[in-house]
Amino acid sequence: MTTPLLSAEMIAMVQGGVSTIVSSCDAALRPSIMRAMASTITADGRLVTVYLARKQSRQLLQDIAASGRLAVVFSQPSSNRTLQLKTRQVRSRKTTAADQAIVQRYLAAMEWELTQVHIPPVLTRVMLAHDLDDLVAVEFEFQEAFDQTPGPNAGAPIGAVRAGEAT
Amino acid sequence: MTRLTLGEIRHCLEGTIPAVIATVAADGTPNVAYISQACYADEGHVALSFQFFNKTRANILANPYANLMVLHPQTVQFYRLHLRYVRTETEGPLFESMKAQLAGIASHTGMANVFKLLGSDIYAVQEIEAVEGSPLPTPPPRYSMLSAVRRCSEQLSRSTSLDEVLNAILATLTDWMGVQHAMVLMADPVSQRLYTVASCGYATSGVGSEIGLGQGVIGVAARERTPVRIQHMATAYLYSSTIRSSLQASAPDFAPEVDIPYPGLPAPHSQLAVPIVSAGRLLGVVFVESPHDMQFGFEDEDVLVAMAGHLGAAIDLIQSATEPLEAMATDLPAPQAQGAALHIRHYPANDSIFIGDDYLIKGVAGAIFWKLVRNFVEHGRTAFSNRELRLDTDLGLPDVTDNLEARLLLLQRRLNEHGSLVRIEKTGRGRFQLVVQRPLTLQEVS
Repeated sequence: MTTPLLSAEMIAMVQGGVSTIVSSCDAALRPSIMRAMASTITADGRLVTVYLARKQSRQLLQDIAASGRLAVVFSQPSSNRTLQLKTRQVRSRKTTAADQAIVQRYLAAMEWELTQVHIPPVLTRVMLAHDLDDLVAVEFEFQEAFDQTPGPNAGAPIGAVRAGEAT
Repeated sequence: MTRLTLGEIRHCLEGTIPAVIATVAADGTPNVAYISQACYADEGHVALSFQFFNKTRANILANPYANLMVLHPQTVQFYRLHLRYVRTETEGPLFESMKAQLAGIASHTGMANVFKLLGSDIYAVQEIEAVEGSPLPTPPPRYSMLSAVRRCSEQLSRSTSLDEVLNAILATLTDWMGVQHAMVLMADPVSQRLYTVASCGYATSGVGSEIGLGQGVIGVAARERTPVRIQHMATAYLYSSTIRSSLQASAPDFAPEVDIPYPGLPAPHSQLAVPIVSAGRLLGVVFVESPHDMQFGFEDEDVLVAMAGHLGAAIDLIQSATEPLEAMATDLPAPQAQGAALHIRHYPANDSIFIGDDYLIKGVAGAIFWKLVRNFVEHGRTAFSNRELRLDTDLGLPDVTDNLEARLLLLQRRLNEHGSLVRIEKTGRGRFQLVVQRPLTLQEVS
C-alpha cells in the first residue's frame, strides 16, 4: 500500500485543527456528507482520525462501513489552504477518554480559526456541539492526497511514495 | 415531519458560510469540495458556481448526484441538500448576478485574481434534510418588510407627479428600511445609458450623472434585467474601474467633454441594484449601497423588487395620463428679468448646455432646455406643455417611451442645483412654466 507523503506544513495544518468535511457513498453511487466534530493526524502524517457525530451522520457512517471509502477535506478558513485525502479502507471505533483531549483542543483551535474570518466563538461552539458518547472515531491511512487550495493548481495530486521510502 | 422548502433555508444560500459539496466518480470514489457560491435559483433549484475544471465537475458530468451541506448563518443549523445536476448556464440574468456576487466574494477572501465564474451549475433539489443539532433561535427581522412595502405602496398611490413618486421611494428606503445611500436612475433607450434622477445620502446629488448599460452593479442589473446584490466590496464592479472606457467614447471630439460626477460611495461594501421594469420595458434602476459588509440580504432584495414593480407602474401611469394640448397662461407672477445677462451656450453635437461657465445638462434634457430658452428670448413665452415637447421631432425623443417626465424632472433638478436664476416650475398636469430672473443671451456653438 502506498501513502502519499504530506509536507510538514500540511501535517502541521491538520494537527493544528481546521475545518474537516467527510464524505462517502452508497452502492448506488449516491454521496453522503457531514462535518467532522474534530480531526487529527499523527506526527508522521500517516494516520488520520476524524470524529463524526452518529446522530448527524447515519447515512455517512453506514456508507463508510459498507464501502470503506472516504474522502476528507481539511481547510484552513483564514488562508484557504485546503487538502483532500482519500482512502478505501477505514477503521471505526468508539471514542475513549484519550479522545476527549483531542476533541477539546480541536474546538479551541476552530474557535480561533473562525474568529479570523469573523465568525464568533459562540457560533463555532454551536456548530461543533456534540455528546462525546455520540462520537465515532474513524481512523484511516490514505492512498491519495490532493492540494485543493483554490487556484490554478487546485486538485493537483500530492506525489505518492512507497511506505518506508520516505526519510 | 413536513418537507422543508428551499425558501425556508434561503438564509443558508447567502454565501455567509461556504457550502460543501460531495460527489462520486463513476468508479465509486467520493470527492468533497468547497463551493464559493451556492445560490437560490428558484423554489426547486440551486445554482452553484462553476469556476474550475475540477474533480467535482468531472464527477457530476458522469454521475449527476450530489450532496450539498450548508449552514444557517444565524441559527447554525446544518442542512443537507440532495441534488441532481441539470445544466450549466454561461450567460443571462442568473449567471450575471452570480458573477457580480462572486466578484465580491473573491475580493473579500483575497481571491480576486483566482475566482472567475465559468458557469452557473443548476441542480434540482430532490430533498432537504435538517441535520440534528442544537440550533440557536432565529433572530427577529431588522424591520417589518411587509410594512415597508405597504408604506411605499400608500405613498406611491397618493403621488401625482414623478417628483413625488421618486420621493416616495427614497423616503421608504430611508425611513422604513434603514438605507442611508440610494439613487434612482432612468434608462435612455436611445443612448443605452442610465441617468440619475434622484438620490439621497451623498455629498452631491449626482442628478444627471450617467452610467452605461453593463457598467458596474447598476449597469449589469439594467442590462440583464435582474437584481444584482453584492455583500462585500467587489473591485471589479467599482464604478471607478468600469467607467473609464465609456467616458472616452461618450461624446464626439468637437463637443466639450462634460460629465456630472457619479455620486456613489468611493468604497461600497454592500450594493443592491434592482431593475425597474413595466410592461416588459426597462425604465430604470433602484440602487442602494452601504460602506459596510453584508447589509442587504435576499429579503431586502424581495422588498426592493416589490417596490420597483410599483414604481414602474406608477411611472408609466404618470407618463400616460391625459395631458392638455396647449400650454396655458397661469396665475403665477412672471418675474421681471433684470440685472446682468446670463450667457447660455448650446453645443448641438451632444446638446450640452452651459450657463455662464457652468455645465448644466446634455442630451434630450439639454435640447428641451434650448427650445425653452429660445422660445423665451424670441417670443417671450414662459408657459409650456409636455405635449408640445412630445410632438417636437427636433428634440430626439423616442416614439413611445419618451420618458419626458423624467427628463423634465432631471432638468428641473439640475437648474435648482445651479441656482434660482432660471428654473422650471410645474403649473399643473402636463404643464410648466419657465421662470427667468435675468435677461438671457443665447449662443449656438457649432
